[in-house]
Amino acid sequence: MIRLQDVHKSFGAVEAVRGITLQIAAGQVVGVLGPNGAGKTTTVRMIAGLIPPSCGTVTLAGMDSVSDSIGVRRRLGYLPESAPLYREMRVGDYLRYRARLYGLDRRAGRAAVGRCAELCRVADVRRRRIGHLSKGYRQRVGLASVLLHDPQVLILDEPTSGLDPAQIAETRRLIRDLAGTRTTVIVSHVLPEVERSCDRIILLARGRVQADGSPEALVKALPGAGRYTIEARAAPPSAGAPRSPDQVLRAVAGVESLEMMQSPDGWQRCLVGFAPNAPDQRERLAQACASAGLLVRELRPQAASLEDVYLRVVAYADNAHPAPAEGAAA
Amino acid sequence: MRASLVIAAREAASFFRSPIGWVVIALYLLLSGAFVALSTLRPGEPATLRAYFGVSQWILLIVAPAISMRLLADEARSGTLESLMTAPVSDWAVVLGKYLGSVAFLIAMLAPSLVYVALLEALANPDYGPLLAGYTGLLLVGMLYLAAGTLASALTENQTVALLATFFFFVFLDLAATQGGRWLGPPLDQALFSLSVLSRIADMAKGVIDTAHAAFFLSASTVFLVGAVVALESRRWR
Repeated sequence: MIRLQDVHKSFGAVEAVRGITLQIAAGQVVGVLGPNGAGKTTTVRMIAGLIPPSCGTVTLAGMDSVSDSIGVRRRLGYLPESAPLYREMRVGDYLRYRARLYGLDRRAGRAAVGRCAELCRVADVRRRRIGHLSKGYRQRVGLASVLLHDPQVLILDEPTSGLDPAQIAETRRLIRDLAGTRTTVIVSHVLPEVERSCDRIILLARGRVQADGSPEALVKALPGAGRYTIEARAAPPSAGAPRSPDQVLRAVAGVESLEMMQSPDGWQRCLVGFAPNAPDQRERLAQACASAGLLVRELRPQAASLEDVYLRVVAYADNAHPAPAEGAAA
Repeated sequence: MRASLVIAAREAASFFRSPIGWVVIALYLLLSGAFVALSTLRPGEPATLRAYFGVSQWILLIVAPAISMRLLADEARSGTLESLMTAPVSDWAVVLGKYLGSVAFLIAMLAPSLVYVALLEALANPDYGPLLAGYTGLLLVGMLYLAAGTLASALTENQTVALLATFFFFVFLDLAATQGGRWLGPPLDQALFSLSVLSRIADMAKGVIDTAHAAFFLSASTVFLVGAVVALESRRWR
């Protein structure tokens, strides 16, 4: 459905996108993730035909986003960051205006406005001015406005930016409902945003695709995070001079961090950290505990999270392609 | 064209959704009405609106840029231009729609002044030819100012800059056209003088309908609108 082939985009001396090649199949829900300045918004703006690539090609449903920009926009619903709307208009008037812009006649427009207002749960505020609505409602009005022409592709740029937790949860629910029937691209720098909504994640940093896959696959591909959870307690006094789990674990070579939490039942929960790329440490930890006579009821590595993947990838990109010195791009 | 009309209808209505539209109309009618009352509706004065047309061309020089300043600048500043540009409408349709919306507002602003014509009809026996020429001239010069303002609004996100750029462009153009000829001499002085907007509108205020004047206003307006389309397109490449 969406295809980018060796796409570059420069703004003056600043190269925002540096050779992105990717395909997004019809029906996929894709999260584009990355730190600020990674090239996320620039990439989706090129997909939407708002800006042309400096080189390379971008196609949507087989149409070139530059030479057939109008055709691309007919098939696309693009909600820019913070959902810019005409604040002086009433919700119903705004949705009818957008329907006419998309070429819907009066009857089809009325039906589309009713359907999308219900879908995005803004039917109850159709007579209210947009400027008087909460941010969450405005976001949903923006969503309704890009669904009126039933687009094949939906692109949402930072859809929960600036919303409170309740509004974020509501918007996420809505996005999940919408995503079932169309290709959806969600741009965000908020991890839970894409982790919960997307079946594929594209990690961008420094204008390049640094990782691409399902959230599970990305986490699985990452070597251990180097953290272990141990629940232990000192052996009974009869076993000899007791040593605490804290003393035992601190003595293990390579331990970089140690957090201790006392359980109400007398056991100690220990979070032991090694260097992120260190080999499996479970055997060494078990040996240390056994030789010190500690009782252990749990020893397990902590699974890597998407956050670990994100931080590792961004750190790798920063090391591989350091940012130019300040003023170098001027 | 359909998209342009949709945009024009929203644009024209938006002037009336905000206080600024009503304030502009009120101020225009207050100023022009006071002038008509003091200079035309007096015993012994001819039954014409020449004084009204004369003062209106000056009022329009500041009012028209105030109308056009927000057309694209405000959309770009608030981010709604991005939403608009993701709809399947061409840059031409956007510029034309915005412009036609502002022209519709200009007509709505001038329309109440037809009361002055009704007053003349009630009090005397006016000649409708000069009145028609005067209104045509006001509309044409207003359309020219709005077209130039649309270009200025496409070039900047700052409405004040757009207003001042349009206002001073025409002030300097007229100064250059009417005074610059002294240094150039014939035949360039005549060519330069032909760029004077105020001298052309003065002719029409007197009741002269000259197709050369109409062609000048319409072609100059078209040039400004083409410039606005180019300015809008250039945003994609910046």
